[in-house]
Order: sequence, then structure tokens, then C-alpha cells
Amino acid sequence: MFSGDVTVLSRMLGLAAGALTAGIFCATAGGQAQSGSHAVVNQPASVAQGLSLSGARADPLGKGGTVILIFVRTDCPVSNRYAPTLKAMSQEYAGKVQFVLVYPDRDETSATIEKHLQEYGYHFTALRDPQHELVNESKVQITPEVAVFNGKRELIYHGRIDNWYEAFGRARSQPTTHELDEAIRAALNGTTAPASVSGVGCYISDLQ
Amino acid sequence: MTPGNRTRDWKFLARVLLGAAMLLPAQGAWCAEPGTSTDKVTYNRDIAPIVFHYCASCHRPGEAGPFPLLSYQDVKKHGHQIVAVTQSRYMPPWLPERGDVKIADERRLSGEQIATVRRWVDQGMLQGKAGDLPATPKFVEGWQLGQPDLIVKAENPYTLAASGRDQYWNFILPVPITGTRWVRAVEIHPGDKRLVHHANVLVDRYGTARRMEKEKGAGFGGMEIRIDSEAFDPDSHFLFWKPGTVASFEPDGMALRLDKGTDLILNAHLQPSGKPEPIQPTIGLYFTDKPATIHPMLLQLQSDAALDIPAGEANFVVTDEFKLPLDVELLGVYPHAHYLGKDLLATAVLPDGTTRTLIHIKHWDVNWQGVYRYEEPVLLPRNTVVKMRYVYDNSEDNTANPNHPPARVQGGNLSTDEMAHLWLQVVPKQEPGVPGDPRMALQEAWARHEVEKAPGNFESRYNLGQMLQARQASDEAVEQFEAAVLIRPQDAVANNALGGALLAKGDVDGAVKYLSVALASQPDYFDAHYNLANAYAAQGNFGGAADQFGEAAKLNPNDAMAEANLGTALVQLGRLQEARSHYEAALRIDSSNQLARENLQQLEQLIKESQR
Repeated sequence: MFSGDVTVLSRMLGLAAGALTAGIFCATAGGQAQSGSHAVVNQPASVAQGLSLSGARADPLGKGGTVILIFVRTDCPVSNRYAPTLKAMSQEYAGKVQFVLVYPDRDETSATIEKHLQEYGYHFTALRDPQHELVNESKVQITPEVAVFNGKRELIYHGRIDNWYEAFGRARSQPTTHELDEAIRAALNGTTAPASVSGVGCYISDLQ
Repeated sequence: MTPGNRTRDWKFLARVLLGAAMLLPAQGAWCAEPGTSTDKVTYNRDIAPIVFHYCASCHRPGEAGPFPLLSYQDVKKHGHQIVAVTQSRYMPPWLPERGDVKIADERRLSGEQIATVRRWVDQGMLQGKAGDLPATPKFVEGWQLGQPDLIVKAENPYTLAASGRDQYWNFILPVPITGTRWVRAVEIHPGDKRLVHHANVLVDRYGTARRMEKEKGAGFGGMEIRIDSEAFDPDSHFLFWKPGTVASFEPDGMALRLDKGTDLILNAHLQPSGKPEPIQPTIGLYFTDKPATIHPMLLQLQSDAALDIPAGEANFVVTDEFKLPLDVELLGVYPHAHYLGKDLLATAVLPDGTTRTLIHIKHWDVNWQGVYRYEEPVLLPRNTVVKMRYVYDNSEDNTANPNHPPARVQGGNLSTDEMAHLWLQVVPKQEPGVPGDPRMALQEAWARHEVEKAPGNFESRYNLGQMLQARQASDEAVEQFEAAVLIRPQDAVANNALGGALLAKGDVDGAVKYLSVALASQPDYFDAHYNLANAYAAQGNFGGAADQFGEAAKLNPNDAMAEANLGTALVQLGRLQEARSHYEAALRIDSSNQLARENLQQLEQLIKESQR
């Protein structure tokens, strides 16, 4: 998962260095690889943004208040199975909390996403995040994981929704912990949010 | 720069360096090293063959896998996920350990293959040389075995709710055939394969399932259902679907019999997807003119009665063992438990004392249960002891535990109850010099074993009685049926069987008593009317016999024997014209009915004589 990603990067850096000393024949390649290495230096964007389905840059935290970013993929069966849970929660906290779906797969078009929203009966704002700006800002690695931001744009929780899934294919008949719900209450009441716990689902690091 | 660009650079680097290395080998190893070194794992050479063989049959459009795995891009988009699920052996789903006996269509990755996948991802998911890529597998669309001779469909779709627990739904698929047909293959299309975890097809020869429907054609819920089976031609075939199942034709001579009026019942395990989904299964039937010459049967070891698992118990063991009374060939097995199952083991101890593991599932997962067929039939000689040993985990550590906190769980039919079943598909071998159908001997031994295990169990007593009655061991049969009636005094089926057995051994008064109980419990019971009519006739009560045959004929207007016997009862009562019309009715139903034909001739003679 994420650690795997880091391994790949570090080896590419080593490669690039090797290639640079290689002389004329490998110079082009080395140059390319080195430019790839810039990705490691994370230039912090002023404000992380996604893309609305019409293609405009959109800051989901812009309106203030408590915002839940939910990271999903149209083809991730685990994130799909959470649709009824998420819809029920958004009703429970209607008017107090904003739920936003974030699609980090660059290959998922606005049309695909519109269809997904309709099929699963979502009435949430949906954003694309092809550059993973929101992924990085939210420190999420898996679909479905969520990020809870309080009104001060502070990330107070990121990770799983609950413990329904223990591992791939190992779902409880019902969850026995409810991290997202606790985090929302914490955001609303100014209390301490639960510690971050990783989710079970599809790896965002695969979406490169 | 984004991660996506990095990857493109990587490919580019590899290609350029490759060219360089070929043109100028003297450039040195350091330059070729990054991309060309042969020990780097590539998709085209190393990963595609694994993915095509083990994953693609389900991970393609229309199949069970939630996303396709057919191309480099597909696989790369799930690379880290694939590493995780292959390491944990969640994928490809294959529960049995590798054992003494080779299972067909094994879908199990070797440790080396799993390590290769991991190395590929760790090394940056290289695509490799185009020339290394094997051809993408060709899959047949639609029916895998070709156009079926008959396609049957569930009468109505069932709509699976968006959320909630897994559902178990039974669809009834009527088979519109006018006479007996022999089936050489059954191809199951359970509906949207992303939603159906597994499906079992049962052959219902007696309309058992229809009686369970609240609304006609709607199907009904329930994980386990009981279908009445024929004692003399018991269930014989595993008709099972799970993701990745390869449809196949039965071996020559092993066709499945279907008769007019038979229903197929598809028992499906459905998992909510997050949105409501309508599901309507279809089944393709492939006929043959060759009737069955090889008669397998499904033999069941079980230990349900012993299942009483205390809350929190992490290692609850049940066992069963059965000594084979004759040689059998074992074709396949179907181990079955519910959510608390943990370690399922079946072994065979051969007469020479050696033990063979038939199947061992160390990490049972009800979601991936399946039928396992052996690559070659396994010969189990007479006196082999087949054993099952199942371990259950009713602790909080078992994620699948349906109860939180854990609660006491007993054997039963609900998905939240437990089960301990081991089905074996066997072909019993004819013993030299022993006449008769070897299935009967095996069934009787099995029924006896069930009675020994649970003398107070109604079904065990009844089944053994049936097998004894079948070989005219009426005294012993009566003993078993009496025990069954003691357990369920009002049960129509048991009272009818007891009445029938008493009649067979000449205890007519006893027969009338129990047959009357059967009819009091179930007034529309054809068999009981027919048997009671015979009993009355034996007592010389032809008025009673005529009434009962009349009831029987009304209940089943297609039964020639009921009409013919009614005719005879009426002759005895001197109602000759009425008798003639019933003999004629019998012959209209079955023109070859000997009894009706001969009696009608005699009757015509009698009428002629009386008119003289």
C-alpha cells in the first residue's frame, strides 16, 4: 500500500542518479526519471481542491462548517456497499454537516460518476480528484475512507467509517465501532475525535 | 509531477535503455540494469499468465469480479490491492488445502506466484516487452456449453435490498416437459454474478417447494430447505454454482432424470451491493437420449444434533463417521457449515489402515463454500470408514459471528443457526453375486447409521423404515415406522407408511387404524386414500374401498390404478355400469393398463351374461 509506493519512489531516485552519470546515451532517460523525482518534493498547494463534475476547480471546505470527504471509486465493491450507511448518516446530520463524495480515479469521467450517483441514490456533492490534492490533504489511502474537517479547516479524523470490514471478504454482520459518527460528534461538540484507523477496501495508491 | 507521470517516465526509461543495450552492449551493465535486467518482473512475461489463468474468468465484464483484470492498465490500477489479497489468500478464492487427493479445477496460487506478484508491484509494475504478452484468453459469451435444449427461468425476479444482512432466496423454476427427459448438463446462470455468492439447484419431484411459497411464483426465503426425495432414486448430482464455476457435461451414462411436473429449485446466497438489485436466475438444460446407466448418490455425514455451541467457545468440535458397506467411487464432496465454521476436515480410513485426507479447509468461509470434484474418482473399498471432524468458533474473534456479543448457537436451518454436513457424491459398485441396486444397500446402511446416532430423530426412523420396506422386510419396517409415529403421532406421512407396512404384512386392522390417522391429519393425501381403500377391500368392506378409491381418483385424475381399482370395488358392489365407466377411464389415462383391460373384458362378459 502506501509504503510500497514510497519504495518505488526511492528506487527511482537512485536510478535517476545512476542514469545521470551514465553519459550521453542514457541522459534523456535519466533526465526524465529525475524530473519524476520532483514529485517527491511535495509542493504544498495553497488550498487543496477537487474538480466539480462540470470541470471547475472546487474547494469543498470553502463554505466552512463541518465537512466530511468520503473517498470512493465506482468499481470498489466495499465503498459501494457503504452507500446506504452514508445516506442514512447524511440524513441524520442534515443541515449540520456537509457530505462530499470524492472520486480519486482519474479515469472516472463526470458521466461515469453521474451514473454512479444515480444508481446508488446519492444526493451528495461529488468531486473528482485526479491530482489527488484532496487525497493528500485528507491523508487517506483507501476507498472507502473518510476525512472530517471542522469549521477551522482542521483535519480532525481520517480513516475508516466503522469496523464493518475486518479484512477483504471478512465483514461483520454489523459494525461494532463507529469512528465516523464519533468524529462528526466531536467536530460538532468540539470534543476529541477518535484516533485514525485505516479502512479496508481499494488502494488509492493504485490510482496513478 | 503526479504519480501518473512518474510511471510513464519509467516505461520510457525502460524502452530507451533497452535500445541502448542492444545497440551498444559495451555501454556496460549499469546502464542496462534499471529496466532490462531479466530478473525484473514484468506484466507481459510474468504477471499476465497468472492473471489470465487465475483471475480473468471472473474478473471480466458480466462476471462476478467487481472490476475487469484483462489488461496491463486494469491490473496496474489494482496492483497493491492484488498483492494484499493474494498474500492473505482471499483471492483467488480457494478454501481447501492441497492434500492427498487431487481436486479438479484447482484455483490456488503457489507461494512462488504470490511472491512474483509482490515483487512486480514493489519493482514499480513494469509492463515489459510486447512480445512476451500471451494472448488474452477468449471467453465464450452467454451459454458456456452452447445453446441449451431448454432454458428455464424463475417465474419472477426477486429484488435484493440495498443493505442489510446477506439474503438466502429460493427461486422455483418449473420445467415445461411433457415426459421424462435425461439431462447431461445443467448450466446455472444465477442472475447478476456480482450479487450471488453461491447457488445450489435442487430437484423437486413432488412440488415440495411450491407449498412453501406464500405467493405463487414469488419464491421464498431461507438458507436451508428440505425437498422430499425419492427413496429409490435418491438425489444424485451436485448442481452447484459459485463464481468461477466451469459448466461441464456429466460423464457418459450419468444423466440426470427429469419428469413431467418436476421443478428445479435454485437456492441462492445473495449479498447486498449498496443499491436495490432485481435478480432472476435462468438455467440451461442439455438433454441426451441416453438414460442413466451409472447411478451415483449423495451420501451425507452430519452432526447437527451435536451442535450446541456455548457463547465464546472458540474450538467446538463435532464428528461423524460411517463405515461403507460396499465399494464406492467417490466423485466429489460438498462440505457445509455456516458462519461459525472454522476448520473442516474429511478423511477416509481404508481397510488397510491408511488414512487419506479427502478435504481439509483450515479457514472456512461460508461465502466461498463450494462443491469440490476430484480429478479422478477415488476408490473407497468396502469397510472404509469415512470421517468428518468440524471445528467451530463462537468467540468474538470470529469476524463472521452473527451474534455480537456471542450467543449460544445450536444446529438448525436458519443462517444464524449452525450446520455440520459433509455430502459425498459416490457411485456404489455392484458386489459380484449380489443382486439388486447397490444404492439400496448403501442407503439402508446409512439410514441405520442415522438411527444409531439419533434414535429419537423422526427422519432417521422414517428413512430406515422406507429402506426396509423397499426390500419387503416388513416386520423391521413396522418397527421403525412405529418409532417414527411415537415421535410424531399425528404425522400424516409416517402414519401412512406405518399403515402401508402393516397392510403388507397382513395386519389389516392395524393398517386401517393408522391410515385413518393419516387422513385425519391430511385429508387430501392421495397415498393414504389409496392404501386405506386397499385395506377396506382386504376386510371385504367394498363400500368403504369404493369411497376411498373415488377420493384418490379425484385427487389425482391421472392415476389409472385408482380408476381401475375403483372399477373393481364397484363390481364387488354389483354396480356394473359404473364399474365399466371407471375401467374405461383407467384405459383413457393409460391404454396399456393390464388390470383395467382384463377386468373390463370380464365385466363385459358378465354384463352380457346377466342380460341373457
